[in-house]
Amino acid sequence: MSLLQIHGRPGRTAAWMLSWFLFATGILAYFWVSSGRHKDNPDDRVMPTLRQMGRAFTDAVMKPAEDDEIAPDWDRQPVFTRMRNGMLWKDTTATGRRFLVSMAMLFPAVLLGLHMGMFPYVSLFFQRFVLFFDKIVALSLLPILFIAFGIDELAKVMLIAIGVAPTIVLDAFNLTRGVPREQIVKGFTLGAGDFSVTYRIVFKQIWPRVLNSIRLNLKGVMLFLFAGEMIASTDGLAYRIALLRRHMGMDTIIPYVLWVALLLFLVDLGMRVLNRRLHPWFKEV
Amino acid sequence: MYVGWNPYQYMARSGILKKWADKYNVAIKVQRFDYAPSLDAFVAKNIDACTMTNMEALDMPAAAGVDTTAVIMGDYSNGNDAVLVRRNLTLAQIPGRRVLLVEKTVSQYLFERAFVLNNLAGELKRVKYVNTSDSDIAGAFLSDTSQDVVVTWKPLVSQILKGKGIANIFDSSKIPGEILDLLVVRTDVLIRPDGSGQRFAKAVVGAWYELLGQMSKSGPEADKVLAAIAEASQDTLPSYKEQLSTTHMFYTAQSAADMTASAQLKKTMELVRQFCALHGLLGAKATSADDVAIRFPDGAIEGKPDRVRLRFDVSYMQMAAGGKL
Repeated sequence: MSLLQIHGRPGRTAAWMLSWFLFATGILAYFWVSSGRHKDNPDDRVMPTLRQMGRAFTDAVMKPAEDDEIAPDWDRQPVFTRMRNGMLWKDTTATGRRFLVSMAMLFPAVLLGLHMGMFPYVSLFFQRFVLFFDKIVALSLLPILFIAFGIDELAKVMLIAIGVAPTIVLDAFNLTRGVPREQIVKGFTLGAGDFSVTYRIVFKQIWPRVLNSIRLNLKGVMLFLFAGEMIASTDGLAYRIALLRRHMGMDTIIPYVLWVALLLFLVDLGMRVLNRRLHPWFKEV
Repeated sequence: MYVGWNPYQYMARSGILKKWADKYNVAIKVQRFDYAPSLDAFVAKNIDACTMTNMEALDMPAAAGVDTTAVIMGDYSNGNDAVLVRRNLTLAQIPGRRVLLVEKTVSQYLFERAFVLNNLAGELKRVKYVNTSDSDIAGAFLSDTSQDVVVTWKPLVSQILKGKGIANIFDSSKIPGEILDLLVVRTDVLIRPDGSGQRFAKAVVGAWYELLGQMSKSGPEADKVLAAIAEASQDTLPSYKEQLSTTHMFYTAQSAADMTASAQLKKTMELVRQFCALHGLLGAKATSADDVAIRFPDGAIEGKPDRVRLRFDVSYMQMAAGGKL
């Protein structure tokens, strides 16, 4: 048996079965317990059945949120219009917009890290402070954030920026420092100026790695975004989950959580593919 | 920690509960939870009894099919829940503005009742609710001075009112007896064939009214008890007394029993269940309020008789009143 050997070579079937085993047991265990609970109490809301979740999810996709105005002929409208007015679409676009804005705000963080890595004066000015700031748990300073940024959209985006940006700055800084000094010297001897060296030699090399580090921080972005939406919000995926939790709407919450997982997976995949396309020479992903 | 529920903590610490538990030969453990997790644990059947409001008793356990019986009518909010505004707004000026509150709780119930009582019900559609977590709502409203309206409960209300230019324009003293605090027990626990559930209820009810008897006395002796209760939940005596002043405690078992058996309770529960149904709090299956029915002490039922999920049981309070515990 090569089961526990480094040189083991699992076959096709074994590979397939092993990698799906934990999924299957998880799902089976869930439905086993769930059906038990439903036998005991047909109205159980803690562990909804597949059918309940399916129905709740269809409702979420097709029907507007209950507090929205419902057009009188909504059930005769084409499917796509109904989906666009649906609760899930509304929540996803609200969260998605915040997500994109906060991702865009990470770009200046990369530039800051790059300049810190290249220019000693910039580095002296920022490095210690960013290092300190990175260790601050933003969520514990909420009242101060509320004073500075209110409690609306800006506050949510800033919470993400404060939570994630320092990590990205420091990472970009370290990657910049990691570029061999010889290359920079070579650039200068070939007549490049400070900024051409920074942007055309160093930045191009660190960019794929930085993208990768942003990709690995997606979960942090999402956690802060969810925290923000749960603190005070009128829409968004986490807002809905917070609201449904109040009356145990697990039949909608579970599909919502899976939907968020799927979206995150797709963003992650998209960034990986993009990185590979843009930088075919980069092999570390 | 809510004023009407604080005594339970002290009841366990002071040994009063132990005395009664021993008398009825049951083991009772008081566990302190945050409010929302306590409801979750009760619905998941991890705990046998739990303190909650009449509204949550209906929309959490009862609506989730967990048959629930209220054995103690503890108090009603008589000003603990309030609508607070900046810039001297009136209720009529609120539509079109943003309101911070924990959505789908008694806060929203209070707010909508305020509108109904002031003939503004038609305007409710124009109010924009901002769902705000109760752990941050005071900080959020105080820090962000652009926010005009907040609806919340004590002690947060007192904390917010200390801010500049903030006024209370409607509170639960204007809807007395509608926001009730109950001790509920799972019905399947209560009717256990070996009678342990009933002994459990008797012990808790007995201990509760012994403690309330001590609290309701006046003078230094009662102050000592109140201070201990406040301390058990990290509060101070003045703050606790201030909260008690806006809480109508049913100090005697008789008054609690009377309230439970009253026609007023039926009217209140009718309002509450219609509110819950309107806001989808009774679950996807319950198409109308009738699917989660309520049974009152006299046998009257609101909703479908075969779907009774919340029961008000006056017998333990009556036993306590009659000195039969």
